[in-house]
Amino acid sequence: MKRQIPLLIVIVLGFIFAIHTFVPHKVSSDFFDWYQTWIKAISPFMVLLGIMSLTMVHSTKIKRKVPNWQYSVVTMLALVGTGAIGFIWGTQEGTPFMWLFKNVQMPMGATMFSLLAFYIASAAYKAFRARSAEATVLLIAAMIVMLGQVPIGIKISKWIPEISSWILNVPNLAAKRGIALGVGLGMTATSLKILLGIERTYLGGGD
Amino acid sequence: MAEKKISFYERMQALDRRYIFLVVALAIIIPFLIPFNSKTYVTEPSENIYKKIDSFAGRKDRAVLLSFTHDASTMAELFPMEVAILRHCFERNIPVFTICFLPQAKPLMDYALQVAKEGYEVQSGIDYVNFGYKPWAIFVPLLLKMGDDIADAVETDDEGRIVKNLEIMKEIKNYNEMNLIVDFSGSAAGLRWITYARAKFGANVALGVTAVMAADNYIYLQSGQLTGMLGGLKGAAEYEKLVDVFATYKELDENGILKPAPREFSKEIIKESWIKMSDIKNRQHKTARIGMNAQTVAHIMIIVFIVLGNIGYFVSKRKTKKVS
Repeated sequence: MKRQIPLLIVIVLGFIFAIHTFVPHKVSSDFFDWYQTWIKAISPFMVLLGIMSLTMVHSTKIKRKVPNWQYSVVTMLALVGTGAIGFIWGTQEGTPFMWLFKNVQMPMGATMFSLLAFYIASAAYKAFRARSAEATVLLIAAMIVMLGQVPIGIKISKWIPEISSWILNVPNLAAKRGIALGVGLGMTATSLKILLGIERTYLGGGD
Repeated sequence: MAEKKISFYERMQALDRRYIFLVVALAIIIPFLIPFNSKTYVTEPSENIYKKIDSFAGRKDRAVLLSFTHDASTMAELFPMEVAILRHCFERNIPVFTICFLPQAKPLMDYALQVAKEGYEVQSGIDYVNFGYKPWAIFVPLLLKMGDDIADAVETDDEGRIVKNLEIMKEIKNYNEMNLIVDFSGSAAGLRWITYARAKFGANVALGVTAVMAADNYIYLQSGQLTGMLGGLKGAAEYEKLVDVFATYKELDENGILKPAPREFSKEIIKESWIKMSDIKNRQHKTARIGMNAQTVAHIMIIVFIVLGNIGYFVSKRKTKKVS
């Protein structure tokens, strides 16, 4: 029963939503409205589940004093602190929550993403080598696209943005389309397998 | 025992990566501190977004929906384009709706509205409405429901008001009245708008994405499923320029006073126009263009690194061959 009931819910609802997409009947439309009300009510519980899971993981780490448990303390303090500040003063402009977001979250997020530039530069220097004909083509294409993305590209030659655009629109798209078609077919096949109850790994247990 | 002599190229090959980090840091920081003028060349995907939004300027029966689907990490690339599009809408009296499905995006959306509103007498509920944060779980159901009735789908706005009672909604019901939907993200989230809003309801969809995600979306541009796309900081810089050259254009009147005189989009004008950074007083209106200076230097640095690395590689390879 532990497996049959979730499986039945997935199969029944899966087929109902598939039918709803293609049949714009009032019954189907009313069902969709009913579902939307439910999903709105359910979604806050997902946040609650997330908070519970985070608290359990980190409180265990703190209790057991596992290596680097101090970071878990910071996480818990940030979770409780930010939540409390948001609840007490609200989250609008000019509140302490917004101050925290602008002065902590924004710079930290930007810092993490900006590390990419450093690693790309380092990897370009250390690993981007013309070791074979394919690697040479990739290297030249990368350099042209990089120059085509900045104003100096057109200053060097009016052809650079043109060639860059051709690389993005022809060979890049040919490969992307092939991948997209493969992914699309794979998704359709997996969805059908889930709907028909053939694919059950999402239930856990390994079969 | 004699020490083995290490050549310059071998030393360069084994260069500590911290020196590379230092050079990149300087290459990025210096152009920010000393901004220089570099011409921004506007591409067609950016032009198309501008033209589509501008095509219904001043009409209250056509709106633009902006969906914010990113967090602070991608803000450097996406925030300037969000501000530029909002400014365009406010300048040309185009009703704007904003919405987000990620809690992390909510403060960014509020901040973009706050920055873009500066200097405009726009009112929430009349000129724009912020639908606020809606849970990710209802993204697709809400997106589909908006195809029937936007006010019914979102129910309340960020301030808790009933959306259908707002003045801005008087002539707007569903995607038929939506001039353009623009999703800003650093992921594939925008594809949902293409899959559902575009395919099922025929809505015009455009994307504002980070540069790394841009290549993934060219297929939709080429197939016509996307009206346009702003790719990374370059796209943002292009849109900033379009807004400055056309939407916020000012002319001297007979009394010698500068008055707003928005212009229609023209390829000739944009090709010839040159805006000095120092002429733009508000830094938030030129963030992307200043950032493009840093990006230019950073790209050149990376190319130099690739070339140097390869020279070192080939010289060392030749040496090894000679020895063997």
